[in-house]
Amino acid sequence: MKHFNAKQKNVLMNIVAVLVACIFLFPLYWIVVNSFKLDSEIFAGTPTLWPQQFTLKAYQEQIGSLSVTLKNSVIIAIGSMALALCLSVPAAYGLARYKVRGMKIFVLIFLITQMLPASLVLTPLFLIFSKLGILNSYFAPILSTATISIPFVVLMLRPGFLNMPKELEDAAKIDGCNAFSAFFKIALPICKPTVITAACFSFVFAWNDLAYSMTFNVKEAMRPMTSAIYTFMNQYGTEWNSIMAYGVLLILPSCFIFVTMQKHIVEGMTSGSVKG
Amino acid sequence: MGANKVDRKEQMLGYLFIVPAVVYMLIFIGYPIIYNWIVSFQDVTAMTLGSDARDFLGFANYRAVFADATFRKALVHTFVYTVGCLVIQFSLGFLFAMFFAKKFTFSKPIRGFIVISWMLPVTVTALVFKFMFAEGNGIINAILMGLHIIKQPIGWLLEGNTAMLGLIIANSWVGIPFNMLLLTTGLNDISTDIYEAASIDGATGWQKFVRITVPLLKPTIMSVLVLGFVLTFKVFDLVYVMTGGGPVDATEVLSTYSYKLSFQLFHFGEGAAVANILFICLFLVALIYLKTISRDEMM
Repeated sequence: MKHFNAKQKNVLMNIVAVLVACIFLFPLYWIVVNSFKLDSEIFAGTPTLWPQQFTLKAYQEQIGSLSVTLKNSVIIAIGSMALALCLSVPAAYGLARYKVRGMKIFVLIFLITQMLPASLVLTPLFLIFSKLGILNSYFAPILSTATISIPFVVLMLRPGFLNMPKELEDAAKIDGCNAFSAFFKIALPICKPTVITAACFSFVFAWNDLAYSMTFNVKEAMRPMTSAIYTFMNQYGTEWNSIMAYGVLLILPSCFIFVTMQKHIVEGMTSGSVKG
Repeated sequence: MGANKVDRKEQMLGYLFIVPAVVYMLIFIGYPIIYNWIVSFQDVTAMTLGSDARDFLGFANYRAVFADATFRKALVHTFVYTVGCLVIQFSLGFLFAMFFAKKFTFSKPIRGFIVISWMLPVTVTALVFKFMFAEGNGIINAILMGLHIIKQPIGWLLEGNTAMLGLIIANSWVGIPFNMLLLTTGLNDISTDIYEAASIDGATGWQKFVRITVPLLKPTIMSVLVLGFVLTFKVFDLVYVMTGGGPVDATEVLSTYSYKLSFQLFHFGEGAAVANILFICLFLVALIYLKTISRDEMM
């Protein structure tokens, strides 16, 4: 690198970075591009980097099943997000603002539960839900996917509430605000960007879930897109264009959220998954 | 005492904010974990599912599981998979972190963009990798044959060893940006003064890496590795969708095997026992993790 001046070095580094990103993100491109191909083209042997004949056939064929699965995915993701936020945002605030006894244990509970896998609680939750009679309902996937988001959001939001100047709430309390209106009227608006990011994460976690939805809902009418695409693969194993069309629709929310609020997402991901 | 009263009121308010979420997690995660231990000592099948009067079996489920050759394979596979993933995603993640830590025009946006793979549904990731690794029309075979690295198409996911490799590669695609991001945070905390001082003393790039970067990054490296272990060891969706544990049981891991025992064979007791063994492995590693972070980040 010694032979290059600073400007040339900068150009060179950018080129390398773009190349790395292109190779790394190739699977993403592959999902999208194959969803616009015909079956016959995918089967023709040598894969084509661009559709020879651009078609929306794969999407049109799925409209019937999508009207059901898309609705289910949206209901589960929004329900889970609302539930998770109602519980985790106040908890993050409380852990940052109040010196309660046992705080270390509470933080520890969230740290530990955040690391536990779905497969660990699948069997017992199935038995519990079956006893409660809520298998094959929206309740089962909503209640279970919320457990992914709650600890993540608590750990992600707590640093933000900790860094917020306490004087603002103190002033509000002198003006007659109680603890709850200080939370709703002062703390929430100040931390709005991170709370919105947290909402996005909770939505995506529930939207992306396969294990819970697949296990607790066997009725076709209740199936979200993730478990539908899996069933679809088993039935029509090689119709890759249709599978990829489903894939495109499944990655849309995360891509949209990611592109519109990338900076917050990246920050939230680091604090939500490591720090206490 | 007035001060004490204020203090108690503060405590109560704090609990009002915190307790609902804690209780929720205890009901839907804490209780199931305890219930899982109970189930693992009982005879729970499709027949006894609804009843409360199940036979107590003692350690019979655990004995049955350990006597089972597939379980022992699944245990080994889980470790092979986890170590394989950790090696790839940590080394490449580190490389990416070092590269994007250099200050060039698009370093930050490109680094941020790569992270997208972490947010995608694992189901879709598994499916696109399954498609890319396909024997007849997969792009990976096409590229390798185009470069004359292989002569015949390989049935990647149809053979045990290559299927495991395929899973490791697919998982690393998600894990690399995650490792990169956490390591970047660590790299940013190292003051540039130290590097400048070393440069004045005539240190080479490699010497700076070995003598400054690695030692100062050690706490971050530790937590990245342990967190990576926990997140990888619990793999379910990826294996379930990409190989279903196959061919035969060549890529069966603990979580997929537990799932199979419970929901395909309806041996809920044995399924719970396998999940508990998975839990013990995770718990031991998580203890190490909590010990490393409790020093600097708990409070």
